[in-house]
Amino acid sequence: MRSNSLSYSWIAALPLMGLLSVLILVLAFLLLPASAIADEQKTATPIQIPNPAADLWREVRQRDVVGVGTTQAAGVDAGTLINPYGSNWTQFRMQMLIPYGGYLLGGMLLLLLVFYLVRGRIRMEEAPSGKKLFRYTVYERTIHWFQASLFLFLAVTGLIMLFGRSLILPVTGPEVFSVLASASKEGHNLFGPVFLLALLLMFIQFVRRNIYERGDLTWLLRGGGIIGKTHLPSNFFNMGEKTLFWMLILIGGAIVASGLLLVFPVFGQGRVIMELSHVAHGIGALVMITAVLGHIYIGSIGMEGAVENMTTGYCDLTWAKEHHSNWAERCEQHGEVLSDEQVARSQGSHRYQADDVDAETVRETN
Amino acid sequence: MIAQFIDGPLWYFSSIVFVLGVLYRIFLIIKAGVKPDLAVPRQNGTFGAVRTMFSRFVPRRDIAKRGRLQVVAGYMFHLGLFVLLFFAKPHVDFFAERVTGVGWTPVPYWVFIVSAELAFAGLLLLWLYRLMHPVTRLLSSTGDHVGTGLVFLVMLSGCLALAHSFEALRLTHLLLAEMLLIYFPFSNLMHAFTFIFSRGFTGALMARKGINA
Amino acid sequence: MSKNFLAGKAELNQQIDARVSAYFSSCVHCGLCAEACLFYTETDDPRYTPIYKLEPMRRLWREEHTFWGKLAVKLGLAKSLTEQDFADWEELVYDSCTVCGRCSMVCPVGNDLAYMFRKQREGFSKAGYAPDGLKAATDRALTIGSPMGVTLHTLKATLKHVERSTGLSIPIDKKGADYMTLFSSMEIVNFPEYIESIARIFDAADVSWTISSTAFEATNSGIQIGSKEAAAEIVNRVVTAAEDLGVKHVISPECGHAYTAIRWEGPNLIGRSYPFKVIHILELLDQLHREGRLKLSGTTDIPLTFHDPCQIVRRGGVVEPPRNLLHVVASDFVEMRDHGDMNWCCGGGGGVSANERAEELRVKVFDRKKQQLDELGVTTMVTACANCRLVLEEGLEHNDMLMDIIGLSELVAEHLSE
Repeated sequence: MRSNSLSYSWIAALPLMGLLSVLILVLAFLLLPASAIADEQKTATPIQIPNPAADLWREVRQRDVVGVGTTQAAGVDAGTLINPYGSNWTQFRMQMLIPYGGYLLGGMLLLLLVFYLVRGRIRMEEAPSGKKLFRYTVYERTIHWFQASLFLFLAVTGLIMLFGRSLILPVTGPEVFSVLASASKEGHNLFGPVFLLALLLMFIQFVRRNIYERGDLTWLLRGGGIIGKTHLPSNFFNMGEKTLFWMLILIGGAIVASGLLLVFPVFGQGRVIMELSHVAHGIGALVMITAVLGHIYIGSIGMEGAVENMTTGYCDLTWAKEHHSNWAERCEQHGEVLSDEQVARSQGSHRYQADDVDAETVRETN
Repeated sequence: MIAQFIDGPLWYFSSIVFVLGVLYRIFLIIKAGVKPDLAVPRQNGTFGAVRTMFSRFVPRRDIAKRGRLQVVAGYMFHLGLFVLLFFAKPHVDFFAERVTGVGWTPVPYWVFIVSAELAFAGLLLLWLYRLMHPVTRLLSSTGDHVGTGLVFLVMLSGCLALAHSFEALRLTHLLLAEMLLIYFPFSNLMHAFTFIFSRGFTGALMARKGINA
Repeated sequence: MSKNFLAGKAELNQQIDARVSAYFSSCVHCGLCAEACLFYTETDDPRYTPIYKLEPMRRLWREEHTFWGKLAVKLGLAKSLTEQDFADWEELVYDSCTVCGRCSMVCPVGNDLAYMFRKQREGFSKAGYAPDGLKAATDRALTIGSPMGVTLHTLKATLKHVERSTGLSIPIDKKGADYMTLFSSMEIVNFPEYIESIARIFDAADVSWTISSTAFEATNSGIQIGSKEAAAEIVNRVVTAAEDLGVKHVISPECGHAYTAIRWEGPNLIGRSYPFKVIHILELLDQLHREGRLKLSGTTDIPLTFHDPCQIVRRGGVVEPPRNLLHVVASDFVEMRDHGDMNWCCGGGGGVSANERAEELRVKVFDRKKQQLDELGVTTMVTACANCRLVLEEGLEHNDMLMDIIGLSELVAEHLSE
């Protein structure tokens, strides 16, 4: 008898893992300047040759104090000769974002693989009932897959831009990679704002069902049912799904906002804002991709009865009772349970089959 | 070698197939003929034909509500595509060089990009809706998906080539566009031209009855 | 009618003209026509999508009139239209479509699907694939003169009752009258109050009118089943009688498809224009009132609404006259939200009410009319088609709705100035 006691823990764990990684990376970024300076001091040589312009250049380099000069050239940052944060940012990108981002994604994939091998597919305890509940309208499914395809495209093109030089260029060589990178950049930049549209549509359609309700905290603290063998009740969306929704809206919103700042540098953003936007964009995106990997896993091979929700719009009654019991009960009370036959009919698969026209008759009359 | 083929012979071939194909399809419609209407009309048919040509752009009240996604996404796609196809600078230059000999004023770059974004959003939403909705699932044929897919790929390859830095990307876009031109007359993409006839015929027939259809 | 698939297929092919070609060329399978069809909206069954119901015709167009289609059949990549397709589609063609034309009004590329439905039925009926009820009705119409089997004898009996209760005499075969009127069998049998009403109205307005003893039937089964030969025969009877009597106008009564048959299809069916004009009774009443010949007084003060018969209003063009009349005789006339040329079908037109097999579906789709009425909260509905009236009455009864139905001519007659 398969136990379902571990069924929900990992869904809850994924967003938590995401949050944790954000914290780690932010801390790393903050610690960076200190370590960079410390490195340089260790490697300083004893023989000092005084540089007559040392003071001038120290000021220009803005080591001690951040200052901005004046110039006749108009433009943002025209008064900054050398951006001191430029090298911080480059180092962060090359030595923290790329490797640790890679570890994060790789680690997630590994985690999912291990989970699948150890836990297997989460199956329904009881057999499928042959009765269905209507869960997602055509519109809702359309905007979900709209969002999903945009996300996948932006994720792939974004990852090519971030990891391509390290992972793809050595394999394909510079000629092919430059084409790929240019294409990715153009595609990423054009589809980015469209993602904002998708986010808005998703938010408007689903926000009401993602508001915190009584029982959600219990669900979260119990890891969705890991302690004990009781099924935890949940409404239309469980706390794991709600967490992902809000991550998408908030972190996704931050990704879009920072992306818009990056792609439209015409509103007076200086280099520093662009660097910070890039950092937020990169970290946010990696966190979201990590979370979405888990979402894709559990929504497809990870759980029996999950994917049909978002493709057909219907879910099995047993599945609903096991995973969203409050909602399922309410549907039953309102008499909204449908039979397989009713579902088939509304999908147009009920064909009126006239009696086979008699071959004899056909030959006679024709 | 392939580059020269795409820029040269294949371009001429696809353009000829497109023009002759469209003309032939329209000729077939006209050839099928319409019997003269002997009933006494209430209004002039030609007037009705022209009226309906434009009035059908505005959907009826309950259809605008029930089919809201199709109406909104449909206009996003068609208007976006129209603007970017005929008024984006790279296209204006292309037409001027290869088709008309003269150019016209293109739209600013940001208008081009926003139109492209609207067109993509509209097309994606419509295509997904087509796959999800029971009615369009039942109706849709392979041709519908090939047509939608080809248009999408042409648009996507164009977007990927926006940097104007790599011949490979430009040629991919041109090749896909040529394939679309060849496919066009054999598909229901022909609605771009035949809708004039279908709206016109209905407008005329209904106007003679006294109905603004 | 025995089955003859090849003849049906040939007939269907004949029906493909420039309009049909343009329509199928333009259709992009958007599915918006479904949203306008009450058979789809009330059942959510996508097979009732109008353009899907036209699939046999589309396939024939493709295989006979397009490059790919011809090639595909030749190479064996696509199947040619078969008798099984006719058998499979018969239910869709006759049970789930009233040819109401709502789909034609909403198609974004302007396809007139109702026009195509009418043509598709020509192929199906020629092949013998039509409901038994319709076949029998057409037989009776051709042999007896009425789809319900109403004879001159029956009519005369009804007319006698009318004469007795009105005190007027009904002119039969009066040569040189201005107007020759027709009746639908439904009116003669079920709603003779219509005949009473117009008798009194014509008397009050001093209209010179008559009925023909050889051609009094307005309904045209040929139009319903899709047989241009039957339709032409029935129209010819009327035309011949009108010419014999030398009348200036023929009046089409409160029957939906009768108007479409005699006014719009008639001349094309018989291949020549009429030497007389065709006018719908509502048009005539409106005209008489505007001319001052018909004097009306008083108003009906209960809230009431109007159900637009599809073939008279949307497919016939008689949109304003019923409204003009209602504004005169009713003080509290409220329109349904979808009214006029976008009103919803009663569900029983196009031969559906004569088709027993379609009864369950027809009763189900009445939900749409119910919804329209519930929104208004009225308890009286006026209409101008005897078939609509019968179908609506059945629907109201099935749903336990308290609602009165009156014919518009009847209502007008109630307000004749004494």
